Amino acid sequence: MRVPGRLLNWLFSPESDHWLSILRIGFAFQLVLYCVSLWTDWNQLLASTGGAFVSRDLTEAIVSLESPLIPRLGWFVAVGKTIGLGEPMVVNFVWYCLFVAGILLAIGLFCRPIAGAAWLLHLAAVKSGNLATYGVDNFVTIGLFYLMLSPLPDRLALDFWWRHRKSRDRRWLGFFRRVLQVHLCLIYFFGGLTKVLGRGWWDGTNLWRALTRPPFDIISADVLVRFKCVFPIAGIGICLLEIGYPFFVWHRRVRRPWLAAILLMHIGIGVAMGMYLFASVMIVLNLAAFGPGILWHHRQPADDGGPFSGSTVCSPNN
Amino acid sequence: MCRKNIYLAWFALHFFLITAISIRELFSLIADGLTIIPSHTDGAWSQAEKITSVIAGQSLAPSDPARKTLVGYMHAAGIEGAFGFFAPNVPESYKLVFEFRYPDGRVEEDLPDVQSHAAGLRLGSLLDRIGRSNSEQFRRVLIWMLTSGAWNRHPDAVSARAVFGTLKLPDLDQFERGLKPSYEFLYAYEFTARVTFPDSTEQ
Repeated sequence: MRVPGRLLNWLFSPESDHWLSILRIGFAFQLVLYCVSLWTDWNQLLASTGGAFVSRDLTEAIVSLESPLIPRLGWFVAVGKTIGLGEPMVVNFVWYCLFVAGILLAIGLFCRPIAGAAWLLHLAAVKSGNLATYGVDNFVTIGLFYLMLSPLPDRLALDFWWRHRKSRDRRWLGFFRRVLQVHLCLIYFFGGLTKVLGRGWWDGTNLWRALTRPPFDIISADVLVRFKCVFPIAGIGICLLEIGYPFFVWHRRVRRPWLAAILLMHIGIGVAMGMYLFASVMIVLNLAAFGPGILWHHRQPADDGGPFSGSTVCSPNN
Repeated sequence: MCRKNIYLAWFALHFFLITAISIRELFSLIADGLTIIPSHTDGAWSQAEKITSVIAGQSLAPSDPARKTLVGYMHAAGIEGAFGFFAPNVPESYKLVFEFRYPDGRVEEDLPDVQSHAAGLRLGSLLDRIGRSNSEQFRRVLIWMLTSGAWNRHPDAVSARAVFGTLKLPDLDQFERGLKPSYEFLYAYEFTARVTFPDSTEQ
């Protein structure tokens, strides 16, 4: 078989929607956690005046210099003004919308439009507080972006049972799963490669620094120092896990322990550094991308049929 | 078939951008001497970074609609930056302390206030951005805003001083020898009123 043909088959291989259920439900909880974790500081992070960390107007001005197409809360505030709503009300309304979007995504009601709305609102909130963002926001954006594009609804969604909406051809489910898989491989590969090039990851210095650096110093340094001989091994282990991910996660024999080790690493980051949101988003992405079929066997749904036969056949409900 | 080709083209562009941005960031770190690879190879790494920037469309004029569209897409997809958390090395940790002076000469110290751990992580990220910035004006404006926010909790204060520093953490051996974290002064900004732009002193 020609390589392009094999590549096409690999990219568009028919797939069940188990991974999409994990992605949808996982990101629904991620959105709810995001809202709940920032409830008390939401206005302080996103207000344009009056005790904000950094004025939202300034952040949005910087963002719009990069591109006026990047969504931001200012758009919604401007719309709110035209109907007589003040800025604080609109900013709070966005919080409620995101929270409700999380709930609706979790139960799978109006999946596709809600996924799009959640992506837009979350992105706008993140970009309007762009100077105070960290890695988790990027990963939530990535996840919601793929969720929005994926052929929702999945079999566990209320849309499927109640509104009789069905996912399109399973090839598109396979394609978007591949997209997520390839993206994760690139993330880990470049993350690992960059770590390998830092001296501190070889002797455990960076791990010590990461764990003792505020605000990640959850575990006392007095406790950590007892495990000092573990740091170099753990540091090298993290580099190898990350850089080896795109190679070994596909390997029949080692993919299960490799994925399990990556998941354990993220659980460790969450517990030891207090980065619960970061840990959970990475776990959800990994479980959605590689969980079904590696960590547990999944059976193709009976009415999904066998291998893909050729043309794109849309469900009558779509 | 047409739809399939569109998806394939999107796939190719999307992952091309992710790869180009990641490689550019890698070259940039090497060129800046932040890795174990020697950076002084006749500016070869800087040259490589420039080439990858061109490939990723970053060399287009900021006003170019193509660049704005590309940047807009990258932000929308969450792929505008590379994925090197705590890599190649763990950055410095920064701290901001406010000193509010009252008419009776009393001085009260304060810190940026957050209610939740999640917001604390974001504040840390903001302080990192201030600390890493090469722009004095950028630093000054952001610290001014943070001070204004804290001033709301000290409404009677007549002036404020914001001291920005780096937290020097002991390494493992130093910690075992009893060395404690220390605070190293970087910049200080004086505010005489909430609306005035601060004068700065720099070490």
